[in-house]
Amino acid sequence: MKLLAVDDSNIVRSRIARLAQGGPLGPVQIVGLARNGVEALRVARAAQPDVVTMDLTMPEMDGLACIPELLRIVPRASVLVISALSDKSTAIRALKLGARGFLPKPFTDEQLQLALLSLVDRKGHRA
Amino acid sequence: MSRLQETDLRIFVDAVRRYFEASSRIAPEITSAFLGTGDVPEHEFNGVVALSGRYHGQVTVSLPQRPLCELLLLQRETNLSESNLLDAVGEIANTLAGNARQSLGDELEISVPTTRRGRLGSPPHTRHLPYVITLRWNTYPGLVCVDVEKKG
Repeated sequence: MKLLAVDDSNIVRSRIARLAQGGPLGPVQIVGLARNGVEALRVARAAQPDVVTMDLTMPEMDGLACIPELLRIVPRASVLVISALSDKSTAIRALKLGARGFLPKPFTDEQLQLALLSLVDRKGHRA
Repeated sequence: MSRLQETDLRIFVDAVRRYFEASSRIAPEITSAFLGTGDVPEHEFNGVVALSGRYHGQVTVSLPQRPLCELLLLQRETNLSESNLLDAVGEIANTLAGNARQSLGDELEISVPTTRRGRLGSPPHTRHLPYVITLRWNTYPGLVCVDVEKKG
């Protein structure tokens, strides 16, 4: 499974990568760590990720603007939004734009791994 | 401008607790909550998120170096560079402000965080007296300043 982590926080990107690789998902290849939506689209075009974790509040291009663009480039990608904007209307908006899951920040290690597991099980991305 | 209610401020106290519990499994102790008169005390690392939309003002998180290092180590992050510590304090501010939308509504817009090592000085307050929440996490002190007013 190829994973792209998108977040303007370096420590959050690293944590997501660490937990995805060290969890119950099976082999995970981190194909990119992007700081904003613009970088995410560039990496997605080149690396064709299976799963994308997507922050919402980011400079240059935010997550809600990025999701539909990214899904045009990689229609089969599963997008998991991971955001501090944890109100219901934001979650619904993200899902309507094509995200397949929503994990509010702050999250525990187990919550992230379960959210990723649920996403890949539904899409059959697991190796 | 209408004043932020005490119940609205409870949101930030709860968000502080939730952040540290989820990120480290160690609950913080909220040691005080008061109206800040004069200079609000600050620690070495500061993260600020500006609020706009139906509200305006800012949320500031201020922590010393040690708790930020320990928080990162508990998350198995071994890069304890200054930029990662600033990133960590900015991420806390971002999370607290973002979580407030659950109660304050989606007309609360939040900025990406700005961060600084060293004193912020005393920026002009949005409120006459901003709310200050002090905490102790894993023996270390910390502070959250909520300087927010509702428009209209």
